[in-house]
Amino acid sequence: MQRWLHTRAARKFLANRIALVGLGIVSTYLLVALATGVFGIITPDETFERVGPKQIRGFFRPQSPEKRLADAEYILNRMDGIFRRSNPSAALQEFRLGQLYIRQVPIEELQAEVNQGWEIYDQLAVNDELEATPEVLQQLGNLERVVNGLFEPLTGSAVWKRRLELLLGTDAQGRSIAIRGLYSIEIAIRIGSVVAFLSVLIGAVLGTAAGFYGGWIDHLVTWLFTTFSSIPSLVLLVLLAYLFTGTTFEGTLVPMYIAFSATYWIGPCRVIRGETLKLRELEYVQAATALGFSRPYIMLRHILPNASHLMLINFSLLFIAAIKGEVILTYLGLGIKNGTSWGIMIGQSRPEVVNGFFWQIGTATFLMFGLVLAFNILSDALQDAFDPKHVG
Amino acid sequence: MFPYIFRKLLYNVPVYLSIILLVMAALRVHDPVYSFLGKNARAEDVIEYKQKVGLDQPFLVQYFRFLTTFDLATESWDQKGRTVKEVLSGSVIPSLSLTLPALLLTTLISICVGIISSYYRGRVVDRALVVAAVLGMSVSFLVYIILGQYFGAYLLNRQLGHELFAVDGYEFGLANWPRYCLLPVMISVIVGMGYDTRYYRAVMVEESERDYITTALAKGASKHKVMFVHMLKNAMIPIITRVAISLPFLIVGSILLESFFGIPGMGRTLIGAVRANDFPVVQAFTAIFAAVYIATIILTDILYALFDPRVRLS
Repeated sequence: MQRWLHTRAARKFLANRIALVGLGIVSTYLLVALATGVFGIITPDETFERVGPKQIRGFFRPQSPEKRLADAEYILNRMDGIFRRSNPSAALQEFRLGQLYIRQVPIEELQAEVNQGWEIYDQLAVNDELEATPEVLQQLGNLERVVNGLFEPLTGSAVWKRRLELLLGTDAQGRSIAIRGLYSIEIAIRIGSVVAFLSVLIGAVLGTAAGFYGGWIDHLVTWLFTTFSSIPSLVLLVLLAYLFTGTTFEGTLVPMYIAFSATYWIGPCRVIRGETLKLRELEYVQAATALGFSRPYIMLRHILPNASHLMLINFSLLFIAAIKGEVILTYLGLGIKNGTSWGIMIGQSRPEVVNGFFWQIGTATFLMFGLVLAFNILSDALQDAFDPKHVG
Repeated sequence: MFPYIFRKLLYNVPVYLSIILLVMAALRVHDPVYSFLGKNARAEDVIEYKQKVGLDQPFLVQYFRFLTTFDLATESWDQKGRTVKEVLSGSVIPSLSLTLPALLLTTLISICVGIISSYYRGRVVDRALVVAAVLGMSVSFLVYIILGQYFGAYLLNRQLGHELFAVDGYEFGLANWPRYCLLPVMISVIVGMGYDTRYYRAVMVEESERDYITTALAKGASKHKVMFVHMLKNAMIPIITRVAISLPFLIVGSILLESFFGIPGMGRTLIGAVRANDFPVVQAFTAIFAAVYIATIILTDILYALFDPRVRLS
């Protein structure tokens, strides 16, 4: 470690301040992914949970009077629905909106409160358009107080959790955009790292073997990547994802791992093969051969470490490609289904955008932008550090 | 030269044969007839359908039959009454009317921006352009399309009171082109510029550090002349490479744009066929895409050899 930190490339990288910022951003995302993935701060179920009325604006921005009235109406309607059930008290026990639970009081008392809410609602809903006069606002306030009074007051950490749930608003199904966006970080990092790791691994193994051994191995590998790269990558992705339709893996991450890795290994393989062809002619490889080291040993000890910078750069580039590819494949209906990811969020936000609601698309885009930008900066910095001839 | 072209063609024959093999095998991993008829299909229906479309024959027989005919005359499973050939030929024009202008505009604008950027290398203009390119590259293509469609079509039409750009749809004819295709083309250009500008800037910067530039400047040639006459000519090789690499984009590059703007092009047809389990269309499309792709790769190599005398022909 100590020795590595003093190499020319490492010093150049560490002197690059923007690159360090990029590294910091990536680490932050990794921490969030760890928190949700390993420690289960956000569970997958939470991303599907209804936390309130639909399309609430984020950052607790004031809503229009019509929207406030509609939100109150939504909750009153839900309550009425529960009262009509055959076993209302059991339904009341189960009912929740994110952190909010119904107060534990006799059902008649709740019914009276709901009726009181409807009375105010009826007074307000006579006109199609609500003018923001002081009287109307006051009545809206009263209505909201009644509606909020139906729920158990929040205490302790639940207050903060509730704030997080509503921080970036809710989507068209009343689910928390903040929770969904944060949870998607883990999915994105999983797709990015698995795909980048697998592609670089396949590329490095095949590339060094082809370059170092030559002969029929080289012919085979060259044929393989020529064949794979002769199919347009989007078509190949679609084709590979199509293979999994109807299987148990459909809609999970596995088809995407395989489709992306099978498409993306070509880049690192080609570059690493070229580098190996160059490296194997160098004196230190000849010296190692003369000393009698075996060929696999030379490959592992002398060739691979000297091509490792290419692996690092390619890892970073493919990470970006996989995250962006997920969005496109998911939109085309060949990626994640019934899950939560930035691709799903962006795809679902299309009808919301038509209504002028940008919180969901904004959140997914912003979070993705941060991660991709950080990796873009990192790959540039890595290329700068390792390749003196690279034009940044 | 001709032996070189001939060798290139010959070399790609086994590559293409193996691509077809791979694609055909991949498409048969799941029984396509079973997927098409659905889970409730009776076993005898599946067998009967297979006999009808010739999928009951041995794989090699199917392979050679496909290689000779491409199954162009077979009927599409999804769009009854239309052959694969009709489905394919109907979607070529809409696709090209989107991608051809997009590719041309992106390349031209990006080369200009690249030249400007390298001319002012290290100064504010250059830095701003590089930062803008990196920022632009970090946003998903899908977001550009969704927002572009909203602001360019929905909102603009509402503000203007009449329809300038259609939200979606397509009609043949040049007069209808701006209405349906101009907005998607603009979105495509904006997205493509991020990548291309960076590439062309790198090319220009690299080129501007070569000895012949120093020589030309030392001889007293003006900086403008050096930039546009000496440098641009020598940068032609990387430019040609880049354009040739993007040529396959012409056929499938606009899957997303086509499906958002309802343009019945090839990408949208392919995705639609995949969704509808329209097996003959998927198979023929993939095979033809691969053929076009290989053709462009060969073309690139030939152009290379034509433009760069340093390329070894042996």
